[in-house]
Amino acid sequence: MKISYAWLKEFVNLNLPPEELAGCLNQIGLMVESVTAAGEDTVFEIETYANRPDTLGHLGVAREIATLLDLSLKTRNWPLKELPQSTSSLVDINILDPQLCPRYCGLVVKGVRVGPSPDWLKKRLEAVGLRPINNVVDVSNYVCFSLGQPIHTFDLAKLKGSKIKIRKARKGETIRTLEGQRVELEPDMLVIADETTPVAIAGVIGGEESGITESTTDVFIESANFNPVSIRLTAKKLGLSTDASYRFERGADPNAAPVAAVMAASLLCEFGGRVSRGLLDVYPAPRKPRSITLRLRRINELLGLEIEPEFVVKTLTGLGLKLKEQGPQVWTAEIPSFRVDLEREADLVEEVARFYGYDRIPSAVTPVKSFELPADRRRDRVWRLKEVLFHHGFDEVINFSFTDPEKEQSWQTGCQPIRLQNPISAKLSALRTSLLPGLVENAVWNFNREAEGVHIFEVGNIYYWEQEETHRENLNLGILTTGLRSGRTWKENEKETDFYVLKGAVEDICYYLGYDQLSFEPVEHPFFEPGQALRIQVKNEPVGLLGLLNSNLARSYDLERPVYCAEIDLNELLRKQPRAFSFQPVPRYPGTSRDLSFLVEDSLNYQQIQQQLQKLNIPYLENFQIYDRFQGKSLPPGMVSFSVRFYFRHSARTLQTEEVDRAMQEITSQLKSTLKIRLR
Amino acid sequence: MSSLLEKIDHYRRLFADQVARVKEAREVEELRQAFLGRKKGHLTLLFEEFKTLGPEEKKSAGRQLNELKSEIQNRLGELEQKLQAPARVKQLEDLTLPGRQLYWGAPHPITLFQREIERIFISMGFSVEEGPEIETDYYNFEALNFPPHHPARDAWDTLYINDKLLLRTHTSPVQIRVMEKKKPPIRIIIPGKVFRRETPDPTHLPMFYQVEGLVVDRGITFAHLKGTLEYFIKALFGEKIKLRFRPSFFPFTEPSAEVDIECIVCGGQDAACRVCGGSGWKEILGAGMVDPQVFKNVNIDPEVYSGWAFGLGIDRTAMFAFQIPEIRHFYENDLRFLRQFNRR
Repeated sequence: MKISYAWLKEFVNLNLPPEELAGCLNQIGLMVESVTAAGEDTVFEIETYANRPDTLGHLGVAREIATLLDLSLKTRNWPLKELPQSTSSLVDINILDPQLCPRYCGLVVKGVRVGPSPDWLKKRLEAVGLRPINNVVDVSNYVCFSLGQPIHTFDLAKLKGSKIKIRKARKGETIRTLEGQRVELEPDMLVIADETTPVAIAGVIGGEESGITESTTDVFIESANFNPVSIRLTAKKLGLSTDASYRFERGADPNAAPVAAVMAASLLCEFGGRVSRGLLDVYPAPRKPRSITLRLRRINELLGLEIEPEFVVKTLTGLGLKLKEQGPQVWTAEIPSFRVDLEREADLVEEVARFYGYDRIPSAVTPVKSFELPADRRRDRVWRLKEVLFHHGFDEVINFSFTDPEKEQSWQTGCQPIRLQNPISAKLSALRTSLLPGLVENAVWNFNREAEGVHIFEVGNIYYWEQEETHRENLNLGILTTGLRSGRTWKENEKETDFYVLKGAVEDICYYLGYDQLSFEPVEHPFFEPGQALRIQVKNEPVGLLGLLNSNLARSYDLERPVYCAEIDLNELLRKQPRAFSFQPVPRYPGTSRDLSFLVEDSLNYQQIQQQLQKLNIPYLENFQIYDRFQGKSLPPGMVSFSVRFYFRHSARTLQTEEVDRAMQEITSQLKSTLKIRLR
Repeated sequence: MSSLLEKIDHYRRLFADQVARVKEAREVEELRQAFLGRKKGHLTLLFEEFKTLGPEEKKSAGRQLNELKSEIQNRLGELEQKLQAPARVKQLEDLTLPGRQLYWGAPHPITLFQREIERIFISMGFSVEEGPEIETDYYNFEALNFPPHHPARDAWDTLYINDKLLLRTHTSPVQIRVMEKKKPPIRIIIPGKVFRRETPDPTHLPMFYQVEGLVVDRGITFAHLKGTLEYFIKALFGEKIKLRFRPSFFPFTEPSAEVDIECIVCGGQDAACRVCGGSGWKEILGAGMVDPQVFKNVNIDPEVYSGWAFGLGIDRTAMFAFQIPEIRHFYENDLRFLRQFNRR
């Protein structure tokens, strides 16, 4: 909202420099965004709030400044040159829906010479960014930006009959607005109508037909009050936001309506106008002023200071409230009708605080009266998981939760996407059902910008319809690795990433988070190349997938290098009970190891061998580790060679060679019977 | 043929003579072969001869023979150590070559900045709460004292899923969810993703991060709000940062405030500053005393309890703190951007 310094001076005597005035406005919350010199005037762009329609006119801002600086507002007189006829003999106002139009005031001004406005008026309007049009329209804008009360002027001659009806639109009715646009009206929209048709959309915009033109001589001034919600719904539906609707939807002051009508009429007298006698003021259910009890104690309790009661009285009285002492340091405050925001005691506390100055309120430490243990360690675990991935050299990314549903369709995530009702664009019109499309886009972005390898992860929600009407958001982890792992160094050549880089990261996450029972099962999934993916399981329950990105998908993103990616359901994973940590004594006796190389049929995979090895019931066998897998022409066809190192230890003494020999024999014979191994 | 004793004496002298001339480790090995070699070593042959002697002769010869053997072994051992020890250390040719560096992955700057904020509040006894990103109108607006069809909603331009569901426009619904299930004292912060119907430009995106704080207890005042936020901002931006509180409007707080901090880019010295527009101040967070209507909505008696709340945009604050010119950098995920932050 633009505020002209010169215009403010019409309401209050001010002579402080503009920068100081800006400081004052800031202190009371009318944040000055810019100060611009405009000839002899200075214009302040101020931030106004949705609950303060009173600051949408210069009078309201002047009242605030006057209160802060302890000045009084000027009283202005609006003399009228009157016609012999009474207003009621010229127009007949009928409010058919008093809910939507609580008050309607009207005056007729005859004999107006429509033409350009005088310089003073043009200057005022130009200062606040309005374009002068003609004296009648300019007067209505001047009144609106003075009092914050929108008024509308009709060409009386264009109104059919003398009846002015404030009613809801009828089905099929249309109106051409002042902006020249033909609008279809809906039955819940309030209109101003003459005997036959709507002539204005109430509180939003006037009709072109009844508008002021060069040939207008007789003007009907409308100054009314409309229901804020009705105005907002109409303006939204029509996609129209006008100076009038902006003020009415915030709640205009019903008592400003008669004042604004008289002010406008008086100004039109300057252009030859004569005003009908007696303001027509239809106000079927006059609003009673609101009263609020205010306790000094409460002010001090909420602000944390000791304030003088005199300051409270002076400030609130300056703002137009009437304070009556109810008891010691307790008042009944009668709220002026222009302050729609003051409804509770807390609202008055804010008024006192604003004028006292937030900067003068002391600072104190918020007391702690109890300590609380964190409810769960979930957040710590998520961070731990990120640390494991940082350690593996993965960078963290954050992608939009939005996705292009057309593009995501090719991923066949198997989840019903949640679409937005009012998206910003088609590309952002649904919520993602997987983290992987975003990670793949990140890989493309970076390959296009000189990256030779991309190793990234994201922790974030995916969203989908679980059933019709039941939505779900689920915390997932996505990991992607493609290209070179690290740049060439003088010591070693660059390395291409591979499947096991990704799998190692997944295994380490589970290891360091204490999820012991990790296993993998081959799986076919549209994300991945056939036969090149695994389902990740903890305690035999699926928690995610990993594998080589499906080559068709990769091609659709123009990705040439193999891309390995994983997606893990963190809700599922973190729900599992991790192994409780317990300290194990450090071994006191030396252990020993033996290697075993053997052939098995190549239909067996490592996990099947591992499961058999885990089942071995051998005393002192502490651990085992695969250290080689080999398949080649030197081996019998259909066979594969594995080499495993077994670690032995006795907790209470040094093992004898013969004991280890016996254990190895036992291992060999068990594997011979379970896996049909052949020793190499 | 001379006696065995004479031969022992001969080889003792021969060894002393030859060992004095040894200069390289290789020669030690040659000497060892010559004297102790398994088949043709001088001493090996003497030991063979020794076996043929009678018991009398064996006595003195045996001792001398063993003495010589250990003397030779010791001497060779010493020499070997002396000659070989330095040669075993491999010399590096160029110590100025770079060392082996390990790449450590970079946390996303939002994660990093969010954690810095969390740490400050956790140190003041706050706990961290989270909540859903898909919300209902009730939690996102109504319970927070936004009347239906009120223009106040315009500042929180909303993305809707359907008539019931929307993407939360702020983390404030979590305040309501926490107060519904937990009685005061409450002392929490709420970080998270929020969504607005904003067309992307250098300072606006339809998705960003917020962190919100809430304290509810008996006797909580505006002074507590000021003191806590002053500490927080100083902890984040340094002891010397200047800040100011000014009145504002939020439906869920009364009185409401906005906090500006002095522009760290121009310090108020540049009238054309891109960051503060020359005002010298940068708006950083919104705050206020919890509105009594909000308390009523969660069945907390505003006559007994009071509280303060604040909300801050993590992205905007991080942009300001790190002087990042465009908000979209955060979500483009360019590695040249992201990787800078593992040095923070």
